[in-house]
Amino acid sequence: MTLGDIIRSNRLVICVGSGGVGKTTSSAALALRAAREGRKVIVLTIDPARRLANSLGLKRFGNDEARIDLSALPDAKGELWAMMLDNRKTFDDLIARLSPDEAARDSILHNRIYRAIADNIAGSQDYMATEKLYDLVLGGRYDLVILDTPPVKNALDFLDAPGRLARFLDKGVMKWFLSTQDPGRVMGRFLMGTSAVLFKLLSYIFGEEFLGELREFFVAFRDLYDGMRERHEAVVKLFHDPRTAFLVVSAPTSPSLDVARFFLEELRSRGMRNPGVIVNQRHRVSDTPLDPAGLLGALAADQSADLGPHTAAQVLARLGAAHRRLRELSQIEAGLVAELERSLTRVQQRWEVPRLPGEVHDLASLNAVGDALFAAR
Amino acid sequence: MITTTLHSRKLLLVTGKGGTGKTTLSAALGRLAAERGRRTIVVEIDNFQPSLTAIFGRAPVYEPARVAPNLDVCNITWREALTEWLERTVPAQRLVKLILEHKTVQTFLDATPGARETMVLSRLLTLTEQYDQVIVDMPASGHAVSVLRVPHVAVSLMPGGPVGKRASEVLRLFKSGTTGLIIVALPEEMVVNETIELWEKLHHEVPELPRPTVVLNRAASPSLSDDERRLISRLGGLGLQGPAAELLLSGQWEADLEVATAEAITRLGAEVGAGLIVLPRLGSLGGFEGGPEKVVRQLAAALQRQALAERAP
Repeated sequence: MTLGDIIRSNRLVICVGSGGVGKTTSSAALALRAAREGRKVIVLTIDPARRLANSLGLKRFGNDEARIDLSALPDAKGELWAMMLDNRKTFDDLIARLSPDEAARDSILHNRIYRAIADNIAGSQDYMATEKLYDLVLGGRYDLVILDTPPVKNALDFLDAPGRLARFLDKGVMKWFLSTQDPGRVMGRFLMGTSAVLFKLLSYIFGEEFLGELREFFVAFRDLYDGMRERHEAVVKLFHDPRTAFLVVSAPTSPSLDVARFFLEELRSRGMRNPGVIVNQRHRVSDTPLDPAGLLGALAADQSADLGPHTAAQVLARLGAAHRRLRELSQIEAGLVAELERSLTRVQQRWEVPRLPGEVHDLASLNAVGDALFAAR
Repeated sequence: MITTTLHSRKLLLVTGKGGTGKTTLSAALGRLAAERGRRTIVVEIDNFQPSLTAIFGRAPVYEPARVAPNLDVCNITWREALTEWLERTVPAQRLVKLILEHKTVQTFLDATPGARETMVLSRLLTLTEQYDQVIVDMPASGHAVSVLRVPHVAVSLMPGGPVGKRASEVLRLFKSGTTGLIIVALPEEMVVNETIELWEKLHHEVPELPRPTVVLNRAASPSLSDDERRLISRLGGLGLQGPAAELLLSGQWEADLEVATAEAITRLGAEVGAGLIVLPRLGSLGGFEGGPEKVVRQLAAALQRQALAERAP
């Protein structure tokens, strides 16, 4: 199976992996290829580099879905869209959508605890990414959604999404909290006893003021909870959908591949479909030493007539040394990739993508990355 | 001056874009401090798969473990930080047990905005009382900012209780002049962009912290003359194919790295002024030679040379 097949047959592709391995660029490049082939695609990124936005012709990514101008690629048959997750705005929009009236909406939006949460204090970013996914995938406006997740240490929260924040908003916690504030409604003396003690402890730990504000927050939030849970459950289902694929992205370095193996294991244990690992930035060279003088001697002499007397000789020596270093590196990488392969199942693949010269700075270079990804095997 | 100043900090927070070498640098700083006879600990924060494992040959756990003379490592897992925090905060052991056995309350404590981070930072504070230097391998850029913002938010949301009180102690440590902040960068355009953005963001969102020091990691020192660079570029323009192209490409990569390094130093220098440390690239094109532990040793030696060079007139 090629990455092209995966991009063609899925509705949601989620890229995971450690930072600095080209995850965001790969996500955008895959999206661009799919758009060229005629699909309507959106790439959702969490923390993109401005340079990538520029390469797509955007000043920078925003929370609005922006259509990318593909007129420079005349064979493009589909549409490419891009957006970046703005946590605060996504959360505010969600509250507005679920609130029964303006008063209910405002009492949440003005709550200080809500504001801290929306500003990503409690890792609500993962929650909002799933909220956005619900909107983008189930909204039916796109054939394919490609999600670029945040780097590893938090990506597990994401797979458990909406994880921590949802547990906080969980009906059980909310109900327990509100009931301890209102002991008259609690059935049974024992429960009341324990809960009363625990509640006292919490007021001691966090202070009366905080718990008072939290109570207001929970009361205001109570009616929204069912709506949020419904959406959350739909996204969890989506993670297990047969038309959803998780792609692990890695660099051919030992720490990055360790993270990749960790993801392979996590995805497997969670029963999420993971067709394989993209090994980016792979240095590919021939196994045998190359002879600089034989291959480039005449050309170098020819091109250096107006340069310093030893330039050609120096450059040839340097090229030989650089190539030797590159061969060593390539061998180290080959060993690391072979080790990775041992942890793959029979249905999982690894795609090696060669390191390309230069940085991605426009649509053409992004397209070249897409070509390399599609050609990888 | 700058490298020497880092060595004198009680708490060193190391962050930066993913893949820049935060963990390796943290370990190198730890190794160096320990060799200078300071009681040192290198800390990871709630990492499911601790990155320090590969370097020190053992997975760090919550309790500090010795990996070399004067050098300990640990991983501050949230649940254990909570237990410890409760034990020191809640008046009776019986009540701690009550909380730890109540699932709903656990969930509540885990997810209450700011509580988890405050408890992890509280543990860091405790470690600074036990060690001469605490070096923290922080999460990557954006997530580091959201963790470091927490004490401020906790102080304003929970002014009345011990969480708020502890958070204000953490803030005091941040402001004390004994905390240092490092952003690790690489000589790549995108990484430099993100480093500058992070530098500004940290200043705005966590004003309690000192201005960060930027460490440009894996810098390629200039070794090609202008003429040599010119010739490589001319050969590159000939559209060669096959082995000749491959040979040329390997030289171009090294030449590009030198240019990218010079650009990164100029841009970062303009932004951060004197707060820039440049560390050389080890091994070829980012490959590890002799395993991560050797890289840490080489990096520590480079930091040491840097400090000595600063002392020389």
